[in-house]
Amino acid sequence: MIVTKISIENYLCYCGIKDFELSDGLNIILGENGEGKTKFFEALDWLFNGNDDGLELLVSAKALEETEVGKSLRVQVSIVVEQYEEKKIITKSFLVKKLKANECSISNYMLEGTEENKSGERVQIDGKNLLDRIFPFQIRKYSMFKGEAELDIFKSDGALTNLINLFSDAKHYDKYSEKGIFLREKAERAVEDSTKNDKKNESLYKKLESDIKIAENDKYKLTVHLDSTDEEIRKLEGKLQAAESHVKNADALETINKRIKNIEDRISDLNGKIDENYTTSLFDENWIAVNFETIHHEFAEKISLFSIEKRKQQSEFDKQKGIKEGERKAKAELLNNSIPLPIGVPSKAHMEEMIKDQLCKVCNRPAKKDSEPYNFMMERLKEYLTSQTHDEEETNDNPLYKNDYTNRLVNLSVSQEDNLKNLRGVRTRIKDLFKFNDARKKDIEQLNTELDGEKAERDKILGNSSIAEEKLVDVLKNYNAWQGDLKQRNHEQLDYNSKMKIVLAELKAKKEEKDTIDLKSANKSLIKTRAILRDIETIFKDTKETKFDEFIEKLQGKSNSFFGKINIESFRGTIVFTKRIKGDKSIVDIKLQEDGRTFYKPNQSLLTSMHISILFAISELASETKEENFPMIFDAPTSSFGENKTAEFLNLIYETENQKILLIKDFLSTEKKTKTLTIKKEFEHVKRNKAFWVKLERPFDPNNLKTINTQVITL
Amino acid sequence: MARKDEILSSFLKHEMFTSKYELKKSDIPSTVREALASDIPIVKAIALVIEGLESPTPISDPALNTQIRQYLQEKAL
Repeated sequence: MIVTKISIENYLCYCGIKDFELSDGLNIILGENGEGKTKFFEALDWLFNGNDDGLELLVSAKALEETEVGKSLRVQVSIVVEQYEEKKIITKSFLVKKLKANECSISNYMLEGTEENKSGERVQIDGKNLLDRIFPFQIRKYSMFKGEAELDIFKSDGALTNLINLFSDAKHYDKYSEKGIFLREKAERAVEDSTKNDKKNESLYKKLESDIKIAENDKYKLTVHLDSTDEEIRKLEGKLQAAESHVKNADALETINKRIKNIEDRISDLNGKIDENYTTSLFDENWIAVNFETIHHEFAEKISLFSIEKRKQQSEFDKQKGIKEGERKAKAELLNNSIPLPIGVPSKAHMEEMIKDQLCKVCNRPAKKDSEPYNFMMERLKEYLTSQTHDEEETNDNPLYKNDYTNRLVNLSVSQEDNLKNLRGVRTRIKDLFKFNDARKKDIEQLNTELDGEKAERDKILGNSSIAEEKLVDVLKNYNAWQGDLKQRNHEQLDYNSKMKIVLAELKAKKEEKDTIDLKSANKSLIKTRAILRDIETIFKDTKETKFDEFIEKLQGKSNSFFGKINIESFRGTIVFTKRIKGDKSIVDIKLQEDGRTFYKPNQSLLTSMHISILFAISELASETKEENFPMIFDAPTSSFGENKTAEFLNLIYETENQKILLIKDFLSTEKKTKTLTIKKEFEHVKRNKAFWVKLERPFDPNNLKTINTQVITL
Repeated sequence: MARKDEILSSFLKHEMFTSKYELKKSDIPSTVREALASDIPIVKAIALVIEGLESPTPISDPALNTQIRQYLQEKAL
């Protein structure tokens, strides 16, 4: 998109219609302070973003003065834009009717749009829609800058992230990241519902769900704490570095701060090694039990006797059992190993009847008392009767000892013996621990003395400061307090991080436990679906992050390339973009570094060139990704640059692709004698595509707005 | 290359496809059209999401959920 023409009519100092026919490259508008540069910028800002507020204040006093009472005049700002070989016109205007000499009525403003196609046909359309279509709000926000301060659009946490999301490929992946979460959550719920149909693990599952919720809550709280601690650490480091910038010997201060940190780390390390928890060894580890060794011996002897007696009884029991088994086998052999009739055939009643009648009714033979058949029948009856008490006898086959108490007692005795071996060494260990702790305490004492010395040295360096003594007292007081706070915050950060590790491990374990139940209880196809959707969520999220990182890398490269060209022969350092995570958002910080060391308080000129370099880099990347250019409009962006640097800067940005409109006050001079304003010769060497000079029509009364009119001279 | 194909390629570059799903380069489609004809459930599911979201009338959340889960569950049976 190229702005080919800007027209300003009766807007403040622009009396009548003033046109700026622009080029698609670098357009420079020169102007002294108070002669119409900023009003040009504000006119465009009103066209793009203005509302109905204070319209009467925008009317050119000169134009109103020249209008007859009862007549109207129009205040209007319009742009003509070329996009995709079509012409588009956006006009914002309102009418002013002069009622009396110093009284007028104002209409509401109108925002009109006109589209002109290749064949020259014009169509009226809604101006706001057209504006948002050709020059979207989000891009306008990063296209117009008033003064050097506005160039630092990255002060707020989210600004650069928003910009990156707007121009980088990462924005296309936002919706995927969201849908990935959405689909995975739905799949999780489906699995949970399916698991809950199986009532077997109902209570455990409910408990796990509640534990996971608690752990997630803890994780969230810790994240908030960590974020705010990180923020405080960054602020404190900034304050300390700013304080240090008052100090003349900054290198010495840095060295001494490193030494102090080293000593503090060693002290903290030694403190970590000191373990004075003697009570644990004495009581929790049963050291007291060494005084009852005789009781243990008595116990061990008794147990040993029990064990011998038990083994003896067991041996006898096994022997008897063997004999019984032998008898059973012998009986079977007596029957010539033929298969006997089942016990109870003939029945007990029949047997008793046959014995009483002394007659075998099976083979129909007499069986006189004491004869062989009679005794055989008696034997079968006895066998039958014995079989009826079988269960009772079976129980006699149970082991001799149902419970293995003796063995357990033996084990206890053996483990007591092992324990005693360790406990006998506790006395020596505690003694050694005392010695070790005493030695470490002495080391700490020595280090504390060293630390005091280093701190005194640091105070001396800080005392040799470039700022006034009374201010220095405050700086010193704060400096030491900030150092203390920083140490405290770093300690808290460590603490939160270790707690976070525990919470994350717990969360992982609980989720895994829940997954295990799901695997057993839920529908298998739902489990498989969930697994794939979990992976898809990870892929979508990681890809978005990768795109974001790639853009930052590109942005850093391009920014430093511009930065190098703007500061071609001066010291500059490197612009470094660092990403950090705050909550669930990515934040990008920009720092100016030299060999990994951050610059604090770089001069305004360096900062301005850094900001402009980043803006140009963003603009170039936006052109690459959007396949379209947007103009950049700067009002006095280089106030802190000298004229030479401004010339170099203009020559550099002349080479860049986008359309640029720059309003500057350089290259103008006033002749002392005639007080005539002229353009310096040096401007002839400045590369540009188009240049204008906005200057007030002379003569004018500086105390009377009705005499003020800005002329536009195309150079 | 169409935007949706670029998006698909970016997703399919994820190391998970080679490390976990053991896909070879030849298994990885280069267009959404090819991916929609893939037999690999995760590849086709991603292609369905892209097709749904990049269409001129983007698919609604419930419809997307139904479509993806229905496909994956059928494949899992």
